[in-house]
Amino acid sequence: MFIDVHVHPAFYEPINDDPMRENMRHEVLDIHLNGIAKLEHVRNQMRLAGLDKLCLLPQDYLTEEGEVPVTNEEIKKLVDLMPDQFIGFASVDPHDPEAAEKLDRAFGSLGLSGLNLHPGRQRFYPMEECVQPLYDICETYNKPVMFHAGMSWEPHTLAKYGRPIEFEELAETRPGLRFCLGHFAWPWLEEAAMLMVKHKNVYADTAALYFDCAREFYSRLFTRELEVTWIDRSLRHQVMFGSDNPRFEQIRMAHALEGLGLRDSTVELIKGKNALEFLNGLE
Amino acid sequence: MVYEEKFTLLTSEYNQYIVVTKMVERAVRDSGVQNGMVTVISKHTTAGVTTNESLECLESDIDVFLKRLVPEDYPYSHARMLADYGSTAGNPTGHLKAMLVGNHAHFMIRDGEIERGGAQEVYFCEFDGPSERTFIVQVMGE
Repeated sequence: MFIDVHVHPAFYEPINDDPMRENMRHEVLDIHLNGIAKLEHVRNQMRLAGLDKLCLLPQDYLTEEGEVPVTNEEIKKLVDLMPDQFIGFASVDPHDPEAAEKLDRAFGSLGLSGLNLHPGRQRFYPMEECVQPLYDICETYNKPVMFHAGMSWEPHTLAKYGRPIEFEELAETRPGLRFCLGHFAWPWLEEAAMLMVKHKNVYADTAALYFDCAREFYSRLFTRELEVTWIDRSLRHQVMFGSDNPRFEQIRMAHALEGLGLRDSTVELIKGKNALEFLNGLE
Repeated sequence: MVYEEKFTLLTSEYNQYIVVTKMVERAVRDSGVQNGMVTVISKHTTAGVTTNESLECLESDIDVFLKRLVPEDYPYSHARMLADYGSTAGNPTGHLKAMLVGNHAHFMIRDGEIERGGAQEVYFCEFDGPSERTFIVQVMGE
Protein backbone atom coordinates (compact mmCIF):
# COMPACT_ATOMS: atom_id res chain seq x y z
CA MET A 1 0.00 0.00 0.00
CA PHE A 2 1.51 3.31 -1.12
CA ILE A 3 -0.33 6.47 -0.02
CA ASP A 4 0.41 10.09 -0.85
CA VAL A 5 -0.97 11.93 2.19
CA HIS A 6 -0.56 15.41 0.74
CA VAL A 7 -2.33 16.14 -2.56
CA HIS A 8 -4.24 19.28 -3.51
CA PRO A 9 -6.84 18.46 -6.17
CA ALA A 10 -7.58 22.11 -6.99
CA PHE A 11 -7.11 21.51 -10.71
CA TYR A 12 -8.87 18.16 -11.10
CA GLU A 13 -11.31 18.31 -13.98
CA PRO A 14 -14.53 17.29 -12.18
CA ILE A 15 -14.38 20.38 -9.95
CA ASN A 16 -13.24 22.81 -12.65
CA ASP A 17 -16.25 23.34 -14.87
CA ASP A 18 -16.38 27.01 -13.82
CA PRO A 19 -13.55 29.05 -15.43
CA MET A 20 -13.97 31.77 -12.79
CA ARG A 21 -13.22 29.30 -10.01
CA GLU A 22 -10.29 27.87 -11.94
CA ASN A 23 -8.82 31.36 -12.37
CA MET A 24 -9.39 32.12 -8.69
CA ARG A 25 -7.48 28.95 -7.79
CA HIS A 26 -4.53 29.89 -9.98
CA GLU A 27 -4.31 33.28 -8.28
CA VAL A 28 -5.02 32.29 -4.67
CA LEU A 29 -2.71 29.26 -4.76
CA ASP A 30 -0.10 30.80 -7.08
CA ILE A 31 0.04 27.75 -9.32
CA HIS A 32 0.05 28.49 -13.03
CA LEU A 33 0.42 26.89 -16.46
CA ASN A 34 -0.32 23.47 -15.03
CA GLY A 35 -3.49 22.64 -16.95
CA ILE A 36 -6.56 20.78 -15.78
CA ALA A 37 -6.10 17.13 -14.82
CA LYS A 38 -8.57 14.58 -16.12
CA LEU A 39 -9.11 11.70 -13.70
CA GLU A 40 -7.59 9.37 -16.28
CA HIS A 41 -4.43 11.49 -16.07
CA VAL A 42 -4.51 11.26 -12.27
CA ARG A 43 -4.72 7.47 -12.55
CA ASN A 44 -1.79 7.44 -14.99
CA GLN A 45 0.26 9.60 -12.65
CA MET A 46 -0.56 7.34 -9.69
CA ARG A 47 0.41 4.24 -11.68
CA LEU A 48 3.77 5.68 -12.71
CA ALA A 49 4.45 6.77 -9.11
CA GLY A 50 3.34 3.37 -7.83
CA LEU A 51 0.67 4.99 -5.65
CA ASP A 52 -2.48 3.22 -4.49
CA LYS A 53 -4.24 6.08 -2.73
CA LEU A 54 -4.16 9.87 -2.41
CA CYS A 55 -5.27 12.03 0.51
CA LEU A 56 -7.05 15.00 -1.06
CA LEU A 57 -6.71 18.24 0.91
CA PRO A 58 -9.17 21.13 0.49
CA GLN A 59 -8.35 24.71 1.41
CA ASP A 60 -10.64 27.15 3.20
CA TYR A 61 -9.26 30.70 3.26
CA LEU A 62 -12.57 32.43 3.84
CA THR A 63 -11.45 35.04 6.36
CA GLU A 64 -8.14 36.08 4.84
CA GLU A 65 -8.97 35.77 1.13
CA GLY A 66 -12.74 35.70 0.99
CA GLU A 67 -12.37 32.46 -0.95
CA VAL A 68 -12.57 28.75 -0.39
CA PRO A 69 -10.31 27.43 -3.17
CA VAL A 70 -11.48 23.85 -2.68
CA THR A 71 -14.55 23.07 -0.57
CA ASN A 72 -15.36 20.02 1.49
CA GLU A 73 -18.24 19.28 -0.83
CA GLU A 74 -15.91 19.29 -3.84
CA ILE A 75 -13.63 16.83 -2.03
CA LYS A 76 -16.63 14.61 -1.34
CA LYS A 77 -17.55 14.76 -5.03
CA LEU A 78 -14.05 13.62 -6.03
CA VAL A 79 -13.98 10.83 -3.44
CA ASP A 80 -17.29 9.53 -4.76
CA LEU A 81 -15.80 9.38 -8.28
CA MET A 82 -12.77 7.30 -7.21
CA PRO A 83 -13.61 5.90 -3.78
CA ASP A 84 -10.93 3.20 -3.90
CA GLN A 85 -8.17 5.72 -4.67
CA PHE A 86 -9.17 8.95 -2.93
CA ILE A 87 -9.24 9.70 0.80
CA GLY A 88 -10.92 13.03 1.42
CA PHE A 89 -9.95 15.54 4.08
CA ALA A 90 -11.95 18.54 5.29
CA SER A 91 -10.88 22.12 5.70
CA VAL A 92 -12.43 24.94 7.69
CA ASP A 93 -11.21 28.40 8.60
CA PRO A 94 -10.60 28.61 12.38
CA HIS A 95 -11.62 32.28 12.34
CA ASP A 96 -14.96 31.45 10.74
CA PRO A 97 -17.68 31.48 13.46
CA GLU A 98 -19.29 28.51 11.71
CA ALA A 99 -16.07 26.49 11.52
CA ALA A 100 -17.00 23.94 14.18
CA GLU A 101 -20.41 23.35 12.64
CA LYS A 102 -18.86 22.93 9.19
CA LEU A 103 -16.28 20.48 10.48
CA ASP A 104 -18.87 18.42 12.31
CA ARG A 105 -20.83 18.18 9.06
CA ALA A 106 -17.69 17.28 7.10
CA PHE A 107 -16.99 14.34 9.41
CA GLY A 108 -20.55 13.37 10.31
CA SER A 109 -22.36 13.83 7.00
CA LEU A 110 -19.69 13.89 4.31
CA GLY A 111 -17.62 11.18 5.92
CA LEU A 112 -14.30 12.95 5.40
CA SER A 113 -11.22 11.44 7.01
CA GLY A 114 -9.25 14.29 8.57
CA LEU A 115 -8.83 18.05 8.88
CA ASN A 116 -6.44 20.18 6.83
CA LEU A 117 -5.31 23.51 8.29
CA HIS A 118 -2.81 26.12 7.12
CA PRO A 119 -1.75 28.30 10.10
CA GLY A 120 0.47 30.54 7.95
CA ARG A 121 -2.34 31.33 5.50
CA GLN A 122 -5.28 31.25 7.89
CA ARG A 123 -3.27 33.31 10.40
CA PHE A 124 -3.54 31.41 13.65
CA TYR A 125 -1.10 29.81 16.03
CA PRO A 126 -1.75 26.14 16.80
CA MET A 127 -2.68 26.81 20.45
CA GLU A 128 -5.05 29.75 19.85
CA GLU A 129 -8.52 29.57 21.35
CA CYS A 130 -10.28 29.75 18.01
CA VAL A 131 -8.93 26.40 16.86
CA GLN A 132 -9.44 24.41 20.07
CA PRO A 133 -13.07 23.44 19.30
CA LEU A 134 -11.85 21.98 16.02
CA TYR A 135 -9.36 19.76 17.84
CA ASP A 136 -12.18 18.67 20.16
CA ILE A 137 -14.20 17.56 17.14
CA CYS A 138 -11.21 15.72 15.66
CA GLU A 139 -10.68 13.88 18.93
CA THR A 140 -14.37 13.05 19.19
CA TYR A 141 -14.38 11.55 15.68
CA ASN A 142 -10.83 10.16 16.07
CA LYS A 143 -9.68 12.04 12.94
CA PRO A 144 -6.16 13.39 12.37
CA VAL A 145 -5.08 16.93 11.49
CA MET A 146 -2.79 17.82 8.61
CA PHE A 147 -1.05 21.15 9.23
CA HIS A 148 0.83 23.11 6.65
CA ALA A 149 4.04 23.66 8.64
CA GLY A 150 7.19 25.60 7.84
CA MET A 151 7.56 27.67 4.70
CA SER A 152 4.69 27.98 2.23
CA TRP A 153 4.96 29.06 -1.40
CA GLU A 154 1.38 30.33 -1.36
CA PRO A 155 1.04 34.13 -1.33
CA HIS A 156 0.23 36.02 1.87
CA THR A 157 1.67 33.34 4.11
CA LEU A 158 3.89 33.79 7.14
CA ALA A 159 6.09 30.91 8.18
CA LYS A 160 6.18 32.02 11.83
CA TYR A 161 2.75 30.45 12.42
CA GLY A 162 4.03 27.08 11.30
CA ARG A 163 7.31 26.66 13.18
CA PRO A 164 7.42 23.25 14.85
CA ILE A 165 7.97 24.78 18.28
CA GLU A 166 4.50 26.34 18.00
CA PHE A 167 3.04 22.81 17.95
CA GLU A 168 4.82 21.57 21.08
CA GLU A 169 2.08 22.55 23.50
CA LEU A 170 -0.52 20.96 21.23
CA ALA A 171 1.41 17.69 21.24
CA GLU A 172 1.80 17.91 25.00
CA THR A 173 -1.78 18.81 25.88
CA ARG A 174 -3.55 16.58 23.37
CA PRO A 175 -1.62 13.30 23.24
CA GLY A 176 -4.65 11.60 21.71
CA LEU A 177 -4.73 13.94 18.72
CA ARG A 178 -2.68 12.70 15.79
CA PHE A 179 -1.32 15.54 13.70
CA CYS A 180 1.13 15.90 10.85
CA LEU A 181 3.66 18.66 10.22
CA GLY A 182 3.24 18.97 6.48
CA HIS A 183 6.34 19.52 4.36
CA PHE A 184 8.36 18.25 7.36
CA ALA A 185 8.09 21.89 8.48
CA TRP A 186 10.92 22.80 6.12
CA PRO A 187 13.33 24.46 6.84
CA TRP A 188 12.94 23.42 10.49
CA LEU A 189 13.46 19.69 10.11
CA GLU A 190 15.54 19.30 13.24
CA GLU A 191 12.97 21.17 15.28
CA ALA A 192 10.27 18.89 13.85
CA ALA A 193 12.38 15.85 14.73
CA MET A 194 12.69 17.18 18.27
CA LEU A 195 8.89 17.10 18.64
CA MET A 196 8.49 13.74 16.92
CA VAL A 197 11.05 11.84 18.93
CA LYS A 198 9.26 12.80 22.15
CA HIS A 199 5.61 12.90 21.03
CA LYS A 200 4.42 9.86 19.11
CA ASN A 201 1.22 11.60 18.07
CA VAL A 202 3.27 13.96 15.88
CA TYR A 203 3.87 12.90 12.29
CA ALA A 204 5.61 14.62 9.37
CA ASP A 205 5.29 14.22 5.63
CA THR A 206 7.88 14.47 2.89
CA ALA A 207 6.08 17.10 0.78
CA ALA A 208 9.04 19.42 0.27
CA LEU A 209 10.90 20.22 -2.93
CA TYR A 210 12.01 23.83 -2.74
CA PHE A 211 15.44 23.41 -4.31
CA ASP A 212 17.08 21.12 -6.85
CA CYS A 213 15.50 17.90 -8.09
CA ALA A 214 13.60 15.44 -5.93
CA ARG A 215 16.52 13.03 -5.57
CA GLU A 216 18.93 15.82 -4.59
CA PHE A 217 16.58 17.58 -2.18
CA TYR A 218 15.41 14.39 -0.47
CA SER A 219 19.02 13.35 -0.10
CA ARG A 220 19.82 16.64 1.60
CA LEU A 221 16.78 16.60 3.90
CA PHE A 222 16.80 12.97 4.93
CA THR A 223 20.49 12.05 4.93
CA ARG A 224 22.25 15.28 5.87
CA GLU A 225 19.89 17.76 7.58
CA LEU A 226 18.54 14.77 9.45
CA GLU A 227 20.87 11.82 9.75
CA VAL A 228 19.38 8.91 7.83
CA THR A 229 19.63 6.92 11.04
CA TRP A 230 17.33 9.36 12.85
CA ILE A 231 14.43 8.41 10.58
CA ASP A 232 15.48 4.79 10.17
CA ARG A 233 15.84 4.13 13.91
CA SER A 234 13.72 6.62 15.81
CA LEU A 235 11.15 8.32 13.59
CA ARG A 236 10.34 5.44 11.24
CA HIS A 237 6.73 5.15 12.47
CA GLN A 238 5.97 8.88 12.11
CA VAL A 239 7.13 9.85 8.61
CA MET A 240 4.66 9.63 5.71
CA PHE A 241 5.07 10.15 2.00
CA GLY A 242 3.54 13.39 0.74
CA SER A 243 4.11 15.26 -2.50
CA ASP A 244 2.09 18.48 -2.32
CA ASN A 245 1.15 17.77 -5.92
CA PRO A 246 0.61 19.77 -8.13
CA ARG A 247 3.10 22.17 -6.53
CA PHE A 248 5.76 19.46 -6.48
CA GLU A 249 6.53 16.40 -8.53
CA GLN A 250 4.68 13.39 -7.25
CA ILE A 251 6.30 10.74 -9.47
CA ARG A 252 9.89 11.82 -9.03
CA MET A 253 9.40 12.36 -5.28
CA ALA A 254 7.90 8.89 -4.94
CA HIS A 255 10.89 7.39 -6.73
CA ALA A 256 13.31 9.48 -4.65
CA LEU A 257 12.24 7.67 -1.49
CA GLU A 258 14.27 4.74 -2.72
CA GLY A 259 18.03 5.01 -2.48
CA LEU A 260 18.19 7.15 0.65
CA GLY A 261 19.79 4.35 2.59
CA LEU A 262 16.72 3.56 4.67
CA ARG A 263 15.88 -0.02 5.48
CA ASP A 264 13.29 -1.52 3.13
CA SER A 265 10.97 -1.95 6.08
CA THR A 266 11.30 1.76 6.89
CA VAL A 267 10.49 2.71 3.31
CA GLU A 268 7.38 0.53 3.52
CA LEU A 269 6.32 2.35 6.69
CA ILE A 270 6.82 5.74 5.02
CA LYS A 271 5.00 4.64 1.90
CA GLY A 272 1.81 3.55 3.56
CA LYS A 273 1.79 1.79 6.91
CA ASN A 274 2.30 5.01 8.87
CA ALA A 275 -0.44 6.73 6.89
CA LEU A 276 -2.84 3.94 7.80
CA GLU A 277 -2.02 4.49 11.48
CA PHE A 278 -2.37 8.25 11.07
CA LEU A 279 -5.74 7.82 9.40
CA ASN A 280 -6.87 5.23 11.95
CA GLY A 281 -7.22 2.73 9.13
CA LEU A 282 -9.30 2.92 6.00
CA GLU A 283 -13.05 3.07 6.28
CA MET B 1 -5.76 27.47 -49.00
CA VAL B 2 -4.73 26.77 -45.44
CA TYR B 3 -6.49 24.09 -43.40
CA GLU B 4 -5.71 23.40 -39.77
CA GLU B 5 -6.72 20.82 -37.19
CA LYS B 6 -5.70 20.39 -33.55
CA PHE B 7 -5.41 16.97 -31.94
CA THR B 8 -5.24 16.27 -28.21
CA LEU B 9 -3.62 13.21 -26.70
CA LEU B 10 -3.66 11.99 -23.11
CA THR B 11 -0.29 10.33 -22.81
CA SER B 12 0.07 7.59 -20.21
CA GLU B 13 3.83 7.01 -19.85
CA TYR B 14 6.84 9.06 -18.84
CA ASN B 15 8.42 8.59 -22.28
CA GLN B 16 6.10 7.40 -25.02
CA TYR B 17 6.17 7.16 -28.79
CA ILE B 18 2.73 7.40 -30.39
CA VAL B 19 2.12 6.85 -34.10
CA VAL B 20 -0.24 9.59 -35.30
CA THR B 21 0.02 8.98 -39.06
CA LYS B 22 -3.66 8.11 -39.49
CA MET B 23 -4.72 11.31 -37.73
CA VAL B 24 -2.52 13.33 -40.07
CA GLU B 25 -3.82 11.49 -43.15
CA ARG B 26 -7.38 12.14 -42.08
CA ALA B 27 -6.68 15.85 -41.66
CA VAL B 28 -5.17 15.94 -45.15
CA ARG B 29 -8.22 14.20 -46.61
CA ASP B 30 -10.58 16.55 -44.73
CA SER B 31 -8.67 19.54 -46.06
CA GLY B 32 -9.44 18.63 -49.67
CA VAL B 33 -5.96 19.78 -50.69
CA GLN B 34 -4.65 17.82 -53.68
CA ASN B 35 -1.22 19.36 -54.05
CA GLY B 36 0.69 21.13 -51.32
CA MET B 37 2.31 20.37 -48.02
CA VAL B 38 1.41 19.34 -44.50
CA THR B 39 3.21 20.16 -41.28
CA VAL B 40 2.67 18.40 -37.96
CA ILE B 41 3.79 20.55 -35.02
CA SER B 42 3.95 19.87 -31.30
CA LYS B 43 2.75 22.71 -29.07
CA HIS B 44 5.10 21.67 -26.28
CA THR B 45 8.69 22.00 -25.15
CA THR B 46 8.94 18.57 -23.54
CA ALA B 47 7.28 16.62 -26.35
CA GLY B 48 8.26 16.38 -29.99
CA VAL B 49 7.20 15.22 -33.41
CA THR B 50 9.36 13.15 -35.70
CA THR B 51 9.21 10.50 -38.38
CA ASN B 52 10.61 7.00 -38.26
CA GLU B 53 9.77 3.38 -38.90
CA SER B 54 7.15 2.00 -36.56
CA LEU B 55 8.85 -1.04 -35.10
CA GLU B 56 8.95 -2.07 -31.46
CA CYS B 57 12.70 -2.68 -31.68
CA LEU B 58 13.36 0.75 -33.14
CA GLU B 59 11.19 2.47 -30.56
CA SER B 60 13.24 0.72 -27.90
CA ASP B 61 16.51 1.74 -29.55
CA ILE B 62 15.39 5.35 -29.88
CA ASP B 63 14.31 5.38 -26.24
CA VAL B 64 17.58 3.87 -25.00
CA PHE B 65 19.62 6.15 -27.25
CA LEU B 66 17.91 9.28 -25.92
CA LYS B 67 18.25 8.08 -22.32
CA ARG B 68 21.96 7.51 -22.89
CA LEU B 69 22.38 11.00 -24.31
CA VAL B 70 20.19 12.61 -21.66
CA PRO B 71 20.49 10.65 -18.41
CA GLU B 72 18.01 11.22 -15.59
CA ASP B 73 20.73 11.32 -12.96
CA TYR B 74 22.69 14.44 -13.85
CA PRO B 75 23.03 17.84 -12.13
CA TYR B 76 20.85 19.83 -14.52
CA SER B 77 20.34 23.55 -13.89
CA HIS B 78 16.64 23.24 -14.74
CA ALA B 79 15.83 21.70 -11.35
CA ARG B 80 14.47 24.47 -9.16
CA MET B 81 11.34 26.37 -8.19
CA LEU B 82 9.96 28.41 -11.08
CA ALA B 83 8.14 31.52 -9.91
CA ASP B 84 6.04 31.78 -13.09
CA TYR B 85 4.61 28.32 -12.44
CA GLY B 86 4.69 28.30 -8.65
CA SER B 87 6.03 24.79 -8.90
CA THR B 88 9.23 22.86 -9.26
CA ALA B 89 10.90 22.27 -12.59
CA GLY B 90 12.07 18.71 -12.71
CA ASN B 91 11.83 17.96 -16.39
CA PRO B 92 15.15 19.03 -17.95
CA THR B 93 15.45 15.65 -19.67
CA GLY B 94 12.11 16.26 -21.37
CA HIS B 95 13.28 19.60 -22.74
CA LEU B 96 16.56 18.18 -24.01
CA LYS B 97 15.03 15.10 -25.64
CA ALA B 98 12.35 17.22 -27.30
CA MET B 99 15.07 19.47 -28.66
CA LEU B 100 16.90 16.48 -30.12
CA VAL B 101 13.80 15.02 -31.75
CA GLY B 102 12.51 18.36 -32.98
CA ASN B 103 9.04 19.85 -32.82
CA HIS B 104 7.65 19.01 -36.27
CA ALA B 105 7.47 16.76 -39.31
CA HIS B 106 6.85 18.05 -42.79
CA PHE B 107 5.55 16.25 -45.91
CA MET B 108 4.50 16.96 -49.46
CA ILE B 109 0.96 16.24 -50.64
CA ARG B 110 0.38 14.89 -54.13
CA ASP B 111 -3.00 13.89 -55.54
CA GLY B 112 -4.58 14.30 -52.11
CA GLU B 113 -2.20 11.88 -50.39
CA ILE B 114 0.79 12.41 -48.12
CA GLU B 115 3.92 11.53 -50.03
CA ARG B 116 5.88 9.47 -47.57
CA GLY B 117 8.19 6.48 -47.80
CA GLY B 118 6.86 3.01 -47.10
CA ALA B 119 8.56 2.92 -43.71
CA GLN B 120 7.81 6.48 -42.69
CA GLU B 121 5.35 6.99 -39.86
CA VAL B 122 4.65 10.18 -37.96
CA TYR B 123 5.41 9.96 -34.25
CA PHE B 124 4.29 12.16 -31.40
CA CYS B 125 6.99 11.76 -28.76
CA GLU B 126 6.20 12.27 -25.07
CA PHE B 127 9.19 13.04 -22.86
CA ASP B 128 7.54 14.28 -19.67
CA GLY B 129 4.39 12.26 -19.32
CA PRO B 130 1.82 11.46 -18.37
CA SER B 131 0.24 14.62 -19.68
CA GLU B 132 -2.40 16.11 -21.94
CA ARG B 133 -0.75 17.10 -25.21
CA THR B 134 -1.76 18.97 -28.33
CA PHE B 135 -0.32 18.90 -31.82
CA ILE B 136 -1.39 20.92 -34.82
CA VAL B 137 -1.71 19.67 -38.38
CA GLN B 138 -1.58 22.47 -40.92
CA VAL B 139 -2.27 21.72 -44.58
CA MET B 140 -1.35 24.28 -47.26
CA GLY B 141 -2.01 23.93 -50.96
CA GLU B 142 -4.70 23.77 -53.59
